[in-house]
Amino acid sequence: MIKSLIGKTDEAIQLIFDKDTFQENVIGNTRLDKDLAPPVMVGQAMIDGEVCSVLANNSKRPNPRFRVVYSGILGMEEAYKFSQAMYATIEADKERPKDKKRPIVLLIDTPGNSPGKIEEIVGMTKGTASYQFAIEDARLAGHPVIGLIIGRAVSGGFLCHGLLSDRILALPAEYGTIVHVMPTTSIAVITKIPLERLNELVKTNPVFASGAEYFYDLGGIDEMVKRPEDMRAAIIKSIKEVRALRKQGKEDQLGIWHRGVVGAERGGRQKRMEAIKKMQEEYEKMLPELI
Amino acid sequence: MKINWDDLQSKSFYQATARERAYGMLDKDTFKELLGPRDKMTSPHLLILGEAVEFDDGITVGIGKIKKHPVFVVSQEGKFVGGALGEVNGAKMAYTLKLALKTYEKMKEKYGTVPDDRKPICIVSFDSGGVRLHEANAGLLMHSESMETIWELQNKVPYIAITGSTIGAYGAQGFVCLSADVVIANDFGRIGLTGPEVIQQEVGKDEFDASDRALIWRTMGARSKYILGDVDYLIKDTIGTFRDTIVNMVDEPMSKISKTRKVGSPQLVEENLEVVKLAAEKKIKDSKDLWKIYGNENVDEIPEMSQEKFLSVVKRRPRRH
Repeated sequence: MIKSLIGKTDEAIQLIFDKDTFQENVIGNTRLDKDLAPPVMVGQAMIDGEVCSVLANNSKRPNPRFRVVYSGILGMEEAYKFSQAMYATIEADKERPKDKKRPIVLLIDTPGNSPGKIEEIVGMTKGTASYQFAIEDARLAGHPVIGLIIGRAVSGGFLCHGLLSDRILALPAEYGTIVHVMPTTSIAVITKIPLERLNELVKTNPVFASGAEYFYDLGGIDEMVKRPEDMRAAIIKSIKEVRALRKQGKEDQLGIWHRGVVGAERGGRQKRMEAIKKMQEEYEKMLPELI
Repeated sequence: MKINWDDLQSKSFYQATARERAYGMLDKDTFKELLGPRDKMTSPHLLILGEAVEFDDGITVGIGKIKKHPVFVVSQEGKFVGGALGEVNGAKMAYTLKLALKTYEKMKEKYGTVPDDRKPICIVSFDSGGVRLHEANAGLLMHSESMETIWELQNKVPYIAITGSTIGAYGAQGFVCLSADVVIANDFGRIGLTGPEVIQQEVGKDEFDASDRALIWRTMGARSKYILGDVDYLIKDTIGTFRDTIVNMVDEPMSKISKTRKVGSPQLVEENLEVVKLAAEKKIKDSKDLWKIYGNENVDEIPEMSQEKFLSVVKRRPRRH
């Protein structure tokens, strides 16, 4: 009986992909540098008999070159290695038709981006931006990108590693998953709003609450996966759905903007929709003199 | 309140409000605000928490003109909750970027191609610490919406990022800023991911003292970022100077404007990774170490010298792509 998959990415890989098929640092003909970004676990595996790319990280492996990169924190090398894996995936399937591109599975268990001094000097910002652009490049090429929260999906870590996926799945809080920008206790300190009041408000407003279920209500997560045993089937199903929607030209039912629509349907982020609608109306009135 | 465009030109960019910056950078009296204060679209979440609200939710967005270009402007107000982004102001930012893209597509549909001298332009004037914690989840999601749209704008609509106000471009806004085609800054500009206090907490006061302003400035400040090639134009602190810098580039072909992109291709991944490897190999401890690597001898003087002097002596990281 699995209680939590935090820090147990290797176990998650065993549960999700075809038995013993994960090859680390191999994607198509590309061999990724095994010494670069030790926390990163990328490579290829089979899922349901089909080759896919796996982008994950192993919290037990720190980066010896960057002292703030440990316990699942993603630093600069990590962000660039994820980017390399994305581009290697695109390269591996460049001859394949758009609807036959291999899926990309992101296993998410990170407490965030590296908050270090060297990272600020050199630019953690560019690392995370690069990875986000690489995910979009892979989606454009036709690869279904599925993110699955198996542990922690926190703030900037979740922003770069997961949030731009075609579909985001998550295990519920009972398996220890943590999804937030920061814990409610820290929000109370910074905003100077009493914790008791925040905890009371969480019951009716998911907008600052910590947890996968609250993100689900806002449309930040597409689908909850009930148990770790169901992860594999949920990913296979999502890959099929993404492919089918792409084939029908329904790109607008995938990705981050679509999740805004989903959020509104679930009762969250109503004002976002209202703001967009109003801006669109004002824009249409201005359009004739713009073009 | 009527804003006098002519007066704005000589006004300090650093001291200007978000609305003044937006208004003054575009051609005279062309800026039209979208979802402005009169619409009173405030944050429902700040209200529930009993916090003060603003009718524009701390951001000015709108459309105006520079020469023949329709220009889409996002201008963040650092004086309101640190310019941080939540559900409403986040939607205003992301959707303004989206409207620039829609306009490009409509022009393409109408004319077949989009001429260089008429293409839409996107300007974001940063003054934000990132996600607004009072509505953190919505703020986080909004950042991804902006990032996806910025990715879509590539090679179509020039996206110009500006930092030179009180807060800088911090937190997740740091990478939204550096995803731009062109980054313009005055000497107050700052770009970073993690705030100084959090870094101090993480690495210890010996290595990073959050109260040391000189250290913060040389770590995240515009001069260091200019040496690194993250800031492309380091300019004087008036709204007019920012405007002139933009006016001078907008008619250039997209391919030329995008030459200063910092991210967005496998080549740039490798080029940026080289800097990371260099920093690890040389065991750099301070920005000054990196400035030296790129050929600057007088690193202790760099923060103190006039901007004019700095620009005449500075050596920058050579770019390959």
